[in-house]
Amino acid sequence: MEHNGRRTFLGVCLGGLAAAVAAVTVWPVYRYLAPRSTRATAARVDIPEKEIPEGEAKFFEFNGASAVLVRKRGGGLIALSAVCTHLGCIVQWEKDKQDFLCPCHGGHYTPDGVVTAGPPPKPLAKLPFSVANGVITVG
Amino acid sequence: MNLLGSLLVLLLPLAVLWPLASFAAEPQEIVCIQCHGAMPGKIGEPVKLWKGSIHAENGIACNACHGGDPKDAANAMSPARGFLGAPKEAAIPAFCGRCHVGVLKDYLASAHGKALGKGGPTCVTCHSNHLVVKASLDIINEKRCSQCHSYERAKVIRAAMQETEAMIVAIDKRIAAYKVQGTDTESLEKGLFAVRNRFHTLFHNVDVGMVKKESAGIQADLKKIQDQLAALDDSRQKRKIAGAVVVSAMLLLALFAHLLRKTFD
Amino acid sequence: MALFKRLIDWIDVRIGAREIVAKELTGYLLPRNINAWYSMGSILLFIFAMQVVTGILLLIYYVPDADKAFKSVSFIMNEVPFGWLIRTCHAIGSNMMVLVLFLHMLSVLFMNSYKSPREFNWLTGFILFTLVQGISLTGYLLPWSQLSFWATTVATNSANAIPVAGPYLVEFLRGSKLVGPPTLGRFFALHVALIPLGMAAVVGAHLFFLQRTGVSTPPFGQKETANQWQGDGYRYESHPGGIPFFPNYALEDLRSIFIYLACFLAVVFFAPNLFFTSDSFLPANPLQTPAHIKPEWYFLANYQTLKIFPNEFIGLSVQGAAMTFLALLPFIDRTRERHPLKRPLFMICAVGGILLWVGLSVWGHYS
Repeated sequence: MEHNGRRTFLGVCLGGLAAAVAAVTVWPVYRYLAPRSTRATAARVDIPEKEIPEGEAKFFEFNGASAVLVRKRGGGLIALSAVCTHLGCIVQWEKDKQDFLCPCHGGHYTPDGVVTAGPPPKPLAKLPFSVANGVITVG
Repeated sequence: MNLLGSLLVLLLPLAVLWPLASFAAEPQEIVCIQCHGAMPGKIGEPVKLWKGSIHAENGIACNACHGGDPKDAANAMSPARGFLGAPKEAAIPAFCGRCHVGVLKDYLASAHGKALGKGGPTCVTCHSNHLVVKASLDIINEKRCSQCHSYERAKVIRAAMQETEAMIVAIDKRIAAYKVQGTDTESLEKGLFAVRNRFHTLFHNVDVGMVKKESAGIQADLKKIQDQLAALDDSRQKRKIAGAVVVSAMLLLALFAHLLRKTFD
Repeated sequence: MALFKRLIDWIDVRIGAREIVAKELTGYLLPRNINAWYSMGSILLFIFAMQVVTGILLLIYYVPDADKAFKSVSFIMNEVPFGWLIRTCHAIGSNMMVLVLFLHMLSVLFMNSYKSPREFNWLTGFILFTLVQGISLTGYLLPWSQLSFWATTVATNSANAIPVAGPYLVEFLRGSKLVGPPTLGRFFALHVALIPLGMAAVVGAHLFFLQRTGVSTPPFGQKETANQWQGDGYRYESHPGGIPFFPNYALEDLRSIFIYLACFLAVVFFAPNLFFTSDSFLPANPLQTPAHIKPEWYFLANYQTLKIFPNEFIGLSVQGAAMTFLALLPFIDRTRERHPLKRPLFMICAVGGILLWVGLSVWGHYS
């Protein structure tokens, strides 16, 4: 009986400590695998104004995702997220039609990001930007 | 039967084995050294001196300063191939200053530089020529300075720089110690390099007021590097504590397993 | 508890789990005089599993490209959270694997467990030994440091001593005239795919042979120490009245593994640079050979052997002969007696062999 009590006690000690060690081991592995903060891509992106002529679009990486700057016919400038709101493909600029096409399922957006056709549920997200001394700063 | 081989029982080789490292990738010797290295006296001396210099350490050979063609023995010293020979005394600062641009500027602006050609010191007066070594505060000493003037002023400058110099040397040692352990010290090294350069320009100013004014800023920058090193020390310390905990946990687990095993006898 | 029992019942009626447990664990009896040396195999299995896990984790950030490999390892060591821990565990684990493997082989040697009918166990073990050396050697190159580069140059260069085919063989091993990006590609494939898969397969065979022949009885503390095997027919060596594998010996295995882990982690945390020289933290430079390139400690004896013979081919042949002898040991040593103290000649040769190996290693280290 005493033997059994001792056995149970030691079993609990061994199992408990082993479980604790296993739990502690998970932490470094989780931290090792956890996504790293996206400081690689700056939260602000500078683009010279002359890189975007009228009617053209420029794609760039912003905050770890794709974004696009468009200069509409007539000169209006706009910065949008280039990620389609349907399933996350990257939209393409159709210069001849002056609109965005998502190649995955045929979503269409105006240069302002408003959905004109296809499955996207929401317009493309607008990004804040400012223009100073011929340089466009997004973010 | 198993005797002979048993001798070799633990001489365990592998399909791939290790021979002598019989190849050394020594760089090809340039013709300047081939000839001058073997010459006696004054004409061969520079090669011996150069071999102990910081230039040799960094792969800066004869032709980097003296010009000429180090690959063509016949025309090695032809002016047509850019051979310059040895500069006249007054031309020495310009000679060295082709590479050490910033130092040349500081020197020319200093009392030393202004006395060039009027008995003032040139680069080699303090640094020597072929056996030039990494500069340190030791260059400022009574024997050298009092060749031209009294040591008093130099002593004051040296004292003002002493503390910062000691900091730089100490930080350099600590960075080197981390480097050989596999720590990525690149940004630390670059930081120290920049600060050291700033500090070294003071050497050539020979202006006590300037030295005192600048030293505070330089020491503040050095402090930043020291803080980074302190953070590294701290993380290494934490690793040791964590290590002590996990090693103890393993020993405790071994003890529990052992005791539990004994209950099954 | 009742729920747990019902779950076990549910499984049991389907696959007969209790029968397996009774036969392979609680009913698997081991000799009463079994000792701690018998748990070296379990430690090795544990180390192998750990190398696989840490190796897969390293693959996440490691880039097998000559231009990027060194930087990626430095990134793992300095930037990735706990990357230093995983990389250090993998690197030190490999050295520990070789060390424990030596102990495993020594215990089998001194307990004369390699004798009939266990030739297959010895042979598969010997293959594992060469595979461990191969995986260590190929893994050594991957960080693309000065040490990696030049140690691999020296190692592959030794094949030059082989007559006629030597120079081509060297080029074939390297994938190019000199060690370079092609070498990294093939060593990487060997290190992360071919050799580990081969090892897993041979470990399977090794365990299968153990299961078929049964565990050998240690010769110590026995009156009758001669080999009882007659060779007249297959017979599983059972140990009636022995101790059950589970829980008795499993706990001893566990104890050995925890003691191993304590030693291993002590090195990882307190002497992480025990097996590294400063050359392992400099990126590979094909134009500059570092001053004192030495192989890893377990290759030092081989290295020194090649140096003491005037001709590299002789040195290579001697090692090949020693290796072959070792591989064929159970076929050469056919005496029945298994107690080492009753075999003075064997003891002299075995201890002499070990001292020779240690001596050559020390000599190689200081030469």
